[in-house]
Amino acid sequence: MKRMLKTVVAASIALTASVASLTAKADEVNVLMFGMPYTNGLQALAADFEAETGIKANIDVVGQDVFENRITLTFTGGTGDIDVVHTPVIQVQRWIQAGWLQPMTDAVAEMPGAADILAGPLGAYNVNGDQWALPFFAGVGLMSYREDVLEAAGVGVPETWAEMLEIAPKISNDEHAAIALRAVPGQGFNMFIFPMVMRAYGGSFFADYEGGDLTPAINSPENVEALKVYVELINEYGPEGAGNFNFAEVNAAAQNGQIVFAVEGTGIISQIVDPDKSRFAENTGIALPPGGPAGRSPAIGVHGMGIPASAANPDLAAKFIEWAVSAETVSKIALAQSFPDFTTASVAENPDVVAKYAAIHPDFLSTRVAALDLAIGHYRPLIPEWPALGQAIGESVNAAINGLMSPEDALEQAEQDMRDILGL
Amino acid sequence: MGNTLAARRGATYELQQGYRLMMLPAVLAVVLFAIVPLAGMFALAFSDYHLIRGTNWEFGWRNFVRMLSDKRLMNSVYVMAALSVFGVIAQVLIGSAVAVGLQKITGRWRVGRVLFLLPYAVPHVAVALIWLSLFTPTLSPINAFFDLFGVTVPAFLTSQWGAIFAIVVADTWTNFPFAMLIIMAALQGISPDLEEAAAIDGATRVRTFIHITLPLLTPALLMITLFRFIDSLKHFPMIFVMTKGGPGRSTQATNYYAYVQTFQNSNVAYGAAIAVMLFLTAALISYHVAKLNQRVTT
Amino acid sequence: MGRIVLRGVQKDFGADTVIPPLDLEIDEGEFVVFVGPSGCGKSTLLRLIAGLEDVTAGAIDIDGVDATDAAPGKRGLAMVFQSYALYPHLTVAQNIAFPMRMAKLSTAEQTRRIDDAARVLNLTDYLDRRPGQLSGGQRQRVAIGRAIVREPTAFLFDEPLSNLDAALRVGMRLEISELHKRLKTTMVYVTHDQVEAMTMADKIVVLNAGVIEQVGSPLELYNAPRNLFVARFIGSPMMNILEGRAASEHGAAAIGVRPEHLSLSTASGAWAGRVGLSEHLGSDTFVRVTLDDVDEPLTVRAAGERHFNVGDTVHVSPDADKLHRFDESGLRVV
Repeated sequence: MKRMLKTVVAASIALTASVASLTAKADEVNVLMFGMPYTNGLQALAADFEAETGIKANIDVVGQDVFENRITLTFTGGTGDIDVVHTPVIQVQRWIQAGWLQPMTDAVAEMPGAADILAGPLGAYNVNGDQWALPFFAGVGLMSYREDVLEAAGVGVPETWAEMLEIAPKISNDEHAAIALRAVPGQGFNMFIFPMVMRAYGGSFFADYEGGDLTPAINSPENVEALKVYVELINEYGPEGAGNFNFAEVNAAAQNGQIVFAVEGTGIISQIVDPDKSRFAENTGIALPPGGPAGRSPAIGVHGMGIPASAANPDLAAKFIEWAVSAETVSKIALAQSFPDFTTASVAENPDVVAKYAAIHPDFLSTRVAALDLAIGHYRPLIPEWPALGQAIGESVNAAINGLMSPEDALEQAEQDMRDILGL
Repeated sequence: MGNTLAARRGATYELQQGYRLMMLPAVLAVVLFAIVPLAGMFALAFSDYHLIRGTNWEFGWRNFVRMLSDKRLMNSVYVMAALSVFGVIAQVLIGSAVAVGLQKITGRWRVGRVLFLLPYAVPHVAVALIWLSLFTPTLSPINAFFDLFGVTVPAFLTSQWGAIFAIVVADTWTNFPFAMLIIMAALQGISPDLEEAAAIDGATRVRTFIHITLPLLTPALLMITLFRFIDSLKHFPMIFVMTKGGPGRSTQATNYYAYVQTFQNSNVAYGAAIAVMLFLTAALISYHVAKLNQRVTT
Repeated sequence: MGRIVLRGVQKDFGADTVIPPLDLEIDEGEFVVFVGPSGCGKSTLLRLIAGLEDVTAGAIDIDGVDATDAAPGKRGLAMVFQSYALYPHLTVAQNIAFPMRMAKLSTAEQTRRIDDAARVLNLTDYLDRRPGQLSGGQRQRVAIGRAIVREPTAFLFDEPLSNLDAALRVGMRLEISELHKRLKTTMVYVTHDQVEAMTMADKIVVLNAGVIEQVGSPLELYNAPRNLFVARFIGSPMMNILEGRAASEHGAAAIGVRPEHLSLSTASGAWAGRVGLSEHLGSDTFVRVTLDDVDEPLTVRAAGERHFNVGDTVHVSPDADKLHRFDESGLRVV
């Protein structure tokens, strides 16, 4: 019975997925990415790769939900129809645990270009002594602010979240709210922003992550205090409906002049300060996100490219990744797209790239580097269970924002959810 | 050989063979893309397949037992029921009203037929994005308009019932044309003589509608309700785009919860078990639809 | 009760006038048949009386009351449709009861009238069936039953027999005629079939292109058609019309003579011609004769069985008393 059922599972997944794998060919490399400026830019350069190497690259860029469905099918079925896969650092531990990726340690050792990759993001993919992917994107948390509004109110740029709370009432009026922050639940949504407040107040997800004690500690007094700040900022000093804001709404509110402060990833901040996109850009400044008693911890999100365990052409895949993160390719994308989040160090020395982003905002690239320096690699814990934990905590944070639960109860529930997920 | 067989068994046999051949691609497609994955889903639902915790391929009822005491699942069923019931009622009512209106309207306004179909052609993700902006106070022209008069329209997406209302509105906007189409076809099948006869028999327009038109539309109304209800069990894009299941977990309908379990929590087996439950519910309703359809059409 | 008067009634559909201003009186208890070719406006006229169409101009009085703007249900009329228009979801009894339900009659009264109607129309055994389970003739009777129970001031029939086969049609014709005799209620009946008109009507209204060509009893129309259109439309087979020399001999632009008013002779007669095809009905023989200088062959009715060979020369003579003369505008010359 057991064997029969197992066979059914394997057979059904394989049969369904193999229809997709019929397209896999020996001299082609199949790449699956989800949509963001870099991947869109990469897709447009597929012909360059073929021209340089003679290898045809089929670069598929899909929506994030479609992406998750497809990889789950492909990886579970082991069908080998994907050679290079978009690998967010937040997923890499889970995928390694599930046996979905193959290490590319040896391949990377032979890549001269690997030395040009920023050490922090590169290290994020070093798990259990092996390199599992190469990064192409490192988005960090930054803050944008309306210089004219602060000047008129006679206040400075807040260095801490507490200062932000002090300033907020002075700059909120009928025309604009003080701040907008991501509120919708999700490890990549509110859980990209909220940990900046958590960590500023000395909070953490676990009792001692670095020391290896993964006992949940989300209900700590520090975290409760941080959540109260987060909730107060959004509810008291955010625009109408801020309890359901995601990055798109934050972006729009900033570009429409409906908010003074936005704390967001570089991708959004770069649009808020871009004179081509926002008519308030000329009066918008950039700063590091606020800190707190425990210092400043800008958000960081890293994306890279890895090779699935089942890949049909791992060698070609490595070749493709090497090309995709090379200074030349990344420079082209940085120039063609709105993409200042590159992790290939020498691109920052490319005069065209520097000129382009300086034209958007003179402080942009320098503030980004400063934030990258401050960011800790495990801003969001690098453990396989993170997607589940981030989802559950994000739901609790959102429930507190929208008044479904008190911050204390919300984090108490998150604590319980964490224990359930971790099997404690 | 085929020739002699056909000759012996007659032309009807040959025709039957042809018809069976015509069904072959559909049968193959169903087996390949429905039956096989379905069998896999059922098997997974009884397994312990978990992407992180590891899998021992032990099969049993544990996922279904867990479902019985899963409060989040119960909550998701309530959310799904609310979305489905309100959505389907709104779609059927609005769809019918528009269909009846369009049937009576003559002249230039008949372009409404095409116009009203457009929402049905818009992909669900796009529909969700449109309504997300309309329900986001900082983006919505509705809010901007009322702001002119100093009236603040509440933010719907930040409360449970507001968010459910918003999703129902988006779902209704895109799906009422389905009800409209079916009702329009059903109305076309009702002879105009009947309304005239009723008018001469002394019935007012309202009584004609209640006593004649409505009873004749009943089969179509039942079909739409059940079809839409089955479809509404698959609520996902609207929730995913508009609320991500929030505020808190209050718009996590069952299908969305299955997604969370499968893709966020890596608990593929439990997600499959929930999917199996949804499938069985839909199958049960479909079975009754098919039976009803048979009764109505014969 | 049941006197209907149309005064200057006109109907336009958009820019098209389908019925130019028209006057008509329908007397109490009369059986009036509107007859004419398809598209002549007879059904539209009936629907105007019923109130299913609004008049563009003019007035309709029913029993001395202006009903021009009255709702169909308020005119006290009952109508039987060509399609029967039975409510498919209701049983026979419920169908018949429908107008009484709308009028909020007591249940006892409803039952009484349903039973009466069912008895008269032989529907007693079918009261619990739905229309879909009935034959065409039975459906027709249900439609009539639904009309009867209203006890209307007048019945309107819109081509009620055209969906029935020939044999049933003859039977239903008689049933409707008998019904009229018994109820003595005004009936307005639309048909394109002149045989129905001739056999059922007290008064026939011949319509052509929305205009009344003639109003009269069947025999008046048969004996004295007011113009060529009526002359051709009434009577079967159609009246023979001759123009040219034969007409001018009688001092008319055209003359008409019915097949039954022509006699055949192999020896001598008014007009000579050659025999074409013959139709043998047993009781009669219709012989087609092509005159020497006339294109259209004449139809001659000969009693009993007469045999001619195609191409035989025969002589045809009209019965002088039964000759119809028409002037250049097609009007009857007296």
